[in-house]
Amino acid sequence: MATTKLAFIVKSLPYKTEASRLALTHAIASQTVEIYLEDGDLVEPLLAFVGDGVLNCLRNQKAMQHYGITSLEQHLKNALLLDLRVLICKEDVERFGLSEDALIMDAEDIGGETRASIAPFNEIMKEMDSSDHLLFF
Amino acid sequence: MGELSSATPTETLDVLGRVCPYPLVLTKKAIEKLPSGAILKVICDAPASAEDSIPRFAEKQGFKFESVRNEGYWELYIQKK
Repeated sequence: MATTKLAFIVKSLPYKTEASRLALTHAIASQTVEIYLEDGDLVEPLLAFVGDGVLNCLRNQKAMQHYGITSLEQHLKNALLLDLRVLICKEDVERFGLSEDALIMDAEDIGGETRASIAPFNEIMKEMDSSDHLLFF
Repeated sequence: MGELSSATPTETLDVLGRVCPYPLVLTKKAIEKLPSGAILKVICDAPASAEDSIPRFAEKQGFKFESVRNEGYWELYIQKK
């Protein structure tokens, strides 16, 4: 019986690359692999946005209008709906002059109960250090 | 009708239109909140979830499971151990 900690670290910009969309998809999908593991084995995913990646968390994304594709906003809300732990780097949020109001912090509108957290980078580093696998996107 | 599908479910979860892995993860989340013995009815139209991942999850957890196939969707009944 073991818990495997996975950290999905998103540092890519939200559009013109599939990286962050893939990160979200993999992080969400990782919650289902338990059905294929030995009894009692668990997977604990973490999704962290750092550097330019914090821009994935902006509210009111107009992806359909600008790029003709679905927004990452709903994807991120789905991650929160599914109780994924989401951390957003505090220093990078400040670097872009953003406030919590500008970011997707919850998914209450679709029934989600889990909130994203704005966390200092050293806290994200601790999470990365204690993870079994780091996946960068 | 089976034992579970003929009983009144404790809660119904509608995941119509959602594709893998959402039906399974939402099912897991819903059943976590239910007490032992409760029956969750899941309405699902994603074949991979209805025919593979959700039944596999129920079996692994030792939950009773029944599936009723309808035109274009499934009704899945899971009784929490």
